[in-house]
Amino acid sequence: MLGLPAAAPVFLGLQRVRMPGWAFPLLRKPSRDLKEATVVAGRGVDRINGIHAPCLIKTDPQPESGRLDDGTFPFSSQWFPDLSAAAGLWDRAPSCASLRALRFPPGGGAAAAAAARLASPTAAGSQKPLQPPLSARGEAAARRSGAGASSEALPARRSCQASHGPARPRLRLQGGPAKPARRAPPPARARGLSRAGLQAARRARTWSLPCAEQGAPRLPAFLPGPERDFLFLSAAADPDGADRAARRGCLRRSAPRGQAAGRGRDKGWPDWAAAPALREEELTGFFPEKMSVLTMETQCLDERGSFFKLIDTIASEIGELKQEMVQTDLLLEDGHTSKQSLEKDMSDVCPDQKDLKSFPRDSGYDSLPNKLSILDKLLHTHPVWLQLGLNDAEAMQVLQAQPPGTFLVRKSTKMQKKVLSLRLPSDFGSCLKEFAIKESTYTFSLEGSGISFADLFRLIAFYCISRDVLPFTLKLPYAITTATTEAELEEVAQQGLNFWSSPVNDRLQNPSPPRKPLPSDCIHKGFQQLCLINGVHSIRTRTPSELECSQTNGALCFINPLFLKVHSQDVGGNLKRLCVRTQDVNGLERSRSPPPRPPPPSIHSLLASPQLSRTVNQASLPETDDHNKHWNLYQLQKKPTPIPPPRLKKKALSLEAESSAKNSGGTRPSCNSVHGPETASIPGGAPPQQNLADSKKSLVAHSESQVLFNGGRQRLSDMSLSTSSSDSLDFDRSMPLFAYDGDTNSSLEEYEGESDQECMAPPLKPKKKRNSSFVLPKIVKSQLRKVSGVFSSFMTPEKRMIKRIAEMSRDKRTYFGCLVQDYVSFLQENKECHVSSTDMLQTIRQFMTQVKSYLSQSSELDPPIESLIPEDQIDVVLEKAMHKSILKPLKGHVEAMLKEFHVADGSWKQLKENLQLVRQRNPQELGVFVPTPDFVDVEKIKVKFMTMQKMYSPEKKVMLLLRVCKLIYTVMENNSGRMYGADDFLPVLTYVIAQCDMLELDAEIEYMMELLDPSLLHGEGGYYLTSAYGALSLIKNFQEEQAARLLCSETRNTLRQWHKRRTTNRTIPSVDDFQNYLRVAFQEVNSGCTGKTLLVRPYITTEDVCRLCAEKFRVDNPDDYSLFLFVDDTWQQLTEDTFPQKIKAELHSRPQPQVFHFVYKRIDSDPYGAVFQNDSHDRVS
Amino acid sequence: MMAIRELKVCLLGDTGVGKSSIVCRFVQDHFDHNISPTIGASFMTKTVPCGNELHKFLIWDTAGQERFHSLAPMYYRGSAAAVIVYDITKQDSFHTLKKWVKELKEHGPENIVMAIAGNKCDLSDIREVPMKDAKEYAESIGAIVVETSAKNAINIEELFQGISRQIPPLETHENGNSGTIKLGKQTAQTTRRCC
Repeated sequence: MLGLPAAAPVFLGLQRVRMPGWAFPLLRKPSRDLKEATVVAGRGVDRINGIHAPCLIKTDPQPESGRLDDGTFPFSSQWFPDLSAAAGLWDRAPSCASLRALRFPPGGGAAAAAAARLASPTAAGSQKPLQPPLSARGEAAARRSGAGASSEALPARRSCQASHGPARPRLRLQGGPAKPARRAPPPARARGLSRAGLQAARRARTWSLPCAEQGAPRLPAFLPGPERDFLFLSAAADPDGADRAARRGCLRRSAPRGQAAGRGRDKGWPDWAAAPALREEELTGFFPEKMSVLTMETQCLDERGSFFKLIDTIASEIGELKQEMVQTDLLLEDGHTSKQSLEKDMSDVCPDQKDLKSFPRDSGYDSLPNKLSILDKLLHTHPVWLQLGLNDAEAMQVLQAQPPGTFLVRKSTKMQKKVLSLRLPSDFGSCLKEFAIKESTYTFSLEGSGISFADLFRLIAFYCISRDVLPFTLKLPYAITTATTEAELEEVAQQGLNFWSSPVNDRLQNPSPPRKPLPSDCIHKGFQQLCLINGVHSIRTRTPSELECSQTNGALCFINPLFLKVHSQDVGGNLKRLCVRTQDVNGLERSRSPPPRPPPPSIHSLLASPQLSRTVNQASLPETDDHNKHWNLYQLQKKPTPIPPPRLKKKALSLEAESSAKNSGGTRPSCNSVHGPETASIPGGAPPQQNLADSKKSLVAHSESQVLFNGGRQRLSDMSLSTSSSDSLDFDRSMPLFAYDGDTNSSLEEYEGESDQECMAPPLKPKKKRNSSFVLPKIVKSQLRKVSGVFSSFMTPEKRMIKRIAEMSRDKRTYFGCLVQDYVSFLQENKECHVSSTDMLQTIRQFMTQVKSYLSQSSELDPPIESLIPEDQIDVVLEKAMHKSILKPLKGHVEAMLKEFHVADGSWKQLKENLQLVRQRNPQELGVFVPTPDFVDVEKIKVKFMTMQKMYSPEKKVMLLLRVCKLIYTVMENNSGRMYGADDFLPVLTYVIAQCDMLELDAEIEYMMELLDPSLLHGEGGYYLTSAYGALSLIKNFQEEQAARLLCSETRNTLRQWHKRRTTNRTIPSVDDFQNYLRVAFQEVNSGCTGKTLLVRPYITTEDVCRLCAEKFRVDNPDDYSLFLFVDDTWQQLTEDTFPQKIKAELHSRPQPQVFHFVYKRIDSDPYGAVFQNDSHDRVS
Repeated sequence: MMAIRELKVCLLGDTGVGKSSIVCRFVQDHFDHNISPTIGASFMTKTVPCGNELHKFLIWDTAGQERFHSLAPMYYRGSAAAVIVYDITKQDSFHTLKKWVKELKEHGPENIVMAIAGNKCDLSDIREVPMKDAKEYAESIGAIVVETSAKNAINIEELFQGISRQIPPLETHENGNSGTIKLGKQTAQTTRRCC
């Protein structure tokens, strides 16, 4: 019996990526056959993801021939990304040594060579170079591995053949004598076969043999290791636990310590995972031979010969899985399992039994893209089943009337966690069962299950297909199951909770009586049939008790790049599709997209037109590239929504539940702007597929192109703390220390491959070349590009969420976007509104905190943040999003203001003078009695500080500060093993800061001190930040100190105040303070239009606003002017006793949002003047 | 599920009395998975169980030199506890300790737990500060007192255990600075991270 957990292939498609690098060793095919296996894997998830995998499924009918078909298989970069950044890492990572130790275990390379000799004398002999080297080292490694791989091939094949029955699909192996020659191993290795090497070779063979005999290769399980972020490959072929333990030890050694583990969970690939892909990177383009080298090497590393079998197994398992899904679907849709169609389908999977020629490439899949996947359906209809606010009784009430298998996800007040409420058949005793949903830091899983998911949607999708720990699979309501268009789903979704009691649900349910969920043995039976036909080993479903198949208790985690690739577009794609549809239906509406606000002063035009607003939009986002243009367009075309949305979602939800009889057309509080009533009620309008496809294409194109310049950095910048000289590589490459503010910086910290990186990249590129210590060959660069394109698609839910929020913050049609944009422009235009630098930073911090709390309560985010992010991470994610949406646009302004303040209050000058004084002292005079950083180290530190200046996120800045401190510590300790405390560290830090001679540091430290998330202030970052602040104040007061040997009491007071402030600010005021902005345009006949954001409280009258305007716009004769409201192409003069903020709120809350502007202008000027013709919206001047 | 509570502990005392040695001993004596990777010895963390809670000490070392004295408020602000260290072989360091206590009473956080550590008790033959003096003084200010030896690992553990016990069991801390986080998902409290 096969030892493979039956459900395994399913969750290939459902797991998030933790270690993207590992997806490939698992699924990649070394030969063409295995490539096809990969393809099968892609297919395997088709049903769930709605992916149309572009490849065919086949295995070679003549495994022994060694003949290659023409290489037409689709080999795209997204399937085989190299971990290009790993190239740099390989050369530079501190843990390189252990890496290599891992990859080439004692005697490993030699052993491989030995095996090659034994098995195939010609293999080693007839080799020739194939490819230009990446770097000497990397290539050497490749060569070694190549030799290793080829030598492993034969034993592996033998074992494969031994264990496979004749009917079993065969894998053709590369590396036999018939294969194209490969470069010879380094002579030393070829010749110098040690005894140990031979033993190792023998061991390598025996490792694979037991497996072969059992005929039960196990799927390699990726086990989260002790470091949690590092997944260990549990030895599939390991016959006993001892080997596994040994290997794990090995891996553990190689896992990098430090923050890569702790913080960079989604970017920090462990070196050892990245390394195999390095090989890939070198080899890409030289497949299949090269690929075989590559993966066989992986095999040699991982599974010692059983890899092929493994892949083979995976291929067939997935084939079966696919059957399962097909079967499920058939049952659901047609009610009859058509065995014939199953067989037909199966023949697609295992074409080795058919004539290859007659096998159509894509048969059986052409229909797939037109179908909505389960995941799609879940995403669209979450307002129906995701009812976090529902209480126990309400859930019971809803589900009671539903057929068994129906489910809801809600938050149980009893358990204080999310639960899956499942309707049970009557014979189960109670009619409802709750399954608690466990949220780890990064994943969601069902209590008791070992399978975890990146978000709730995936979890539910999985349980719609596989029961795992459930008594049976989940069942979507019939209306959702049968929906074939997004519009239908929208219609369902729009009803929210009312759906359950709606006639739609009932009516559709009745004609097709509730089907009993698939009992597991039914599937089981199906499987056995499949297995017979497939001629491969059978598969069985496992019981929950069998799930404990990992050694550690961590959840299994499988990775499927395809899945993630697609999903990365979910947040965006979802929105986009909806947008497209909206545009379609509301043809007229769209031409009147709302301009975010009146034009900025620099543009001489009257009221904003759509184009203008777009221009503004783009201008304010200089990073906009093609992709972003699309986005802006989409966003502009999107339906404006009534704002503000309900803030207390839970309340709203329960209210809604109570009023279930309410008209379904009403507002649906749980649904966000995208699903506005207009959008959702479109009857049956099929989404324009063409548009969809186009936009998808553009997305893909974008993700591929955007990598252009950020490839290497992306990886390098999240390396763990290190003080080796190499660790400054990432900074070297981003060396430009001037001129590129704002977006430049951001690129350093945003790994998600955002568009803004692209815009900053060109200026960086030459510098990169100049400064970087290793120059990548062109071919590698192009690979880097592809790779990063792939990486950017591996976005975790967290990153997607952040991206989504950042997008929303730029979209003025959302309430949140309005808040942020108003505040940002207010700050930028009203320099005088803050009395001091701290005052300014404080308000910003306050604003961020408030908006954060708004976002966590509001329902503007769709899908709700709770469904994507585990609860204890929500705040962290929101904080990051705040940095991105608020600090990023403000960074330049804040910096300039800080400098202004410092210059104004004389602290700039004071620091400058004292810095000079301190610099002249020798270390001893400063109280330093330990080794100090030399010139080179100081330069390195300076580079780090300069990098820090380019960050907008206080957290990232602190990270860099920590690196600086680490470097200082390393120098201090100087391998002496002594531990130095603050007594020694603070003087050295002072000395180093003085040596760096950077006046800007003052502002940097202030920025961090005031803006850092208060919860981080007590940790390590807070400590070293405090130390840096202390060091700087020591320097600033050096003169006084010399005189009095004490800091002036003033400094002490400042410190105390700071403390007080940062600790008392924690009571959160309401977001209302920030709604008090009013954008007023000022229209002059001859000078056009200027705009200002004014602070206008709700109960300030028009009269007062007029006075304010007169002052702000410097109007000499205020009596001639008045405040007008321009809405619906008409002018209304506001009377003196009206409240503009109220008017604004009223306008905002209209169901059909309108473009409106407050304009301060002459009373006597012609209100219907030339400037406000109907075409004014199209005017850009 | 145990709740983790982060407690900021500030180390005060003259230079050379062995502040950082005490921490190093405390943090490194036992193999502990919870030690976060640190930059250096001036900031260390260690998690110890206390009752049904886990106390995560975030230990902030300060520079003891006179000239850095003025920076101390930044370090002890928001501390749940302060460990004030003196050297039993140096009378001066005991004087400095009294100054620290005074300052903490005046400017330090309310309800801060004070622990006095007479370090280098392995050198009791050249002792300058009698144990009795320290005890009496500690009693007068309501502080924990213990003589320690970082070198011989004497009483180090006890020192911090004493602090743990003095920490009020729930979030009754001043300024809410030492809130709790649940390891599980029972509450929606925000996570605190240490850097």
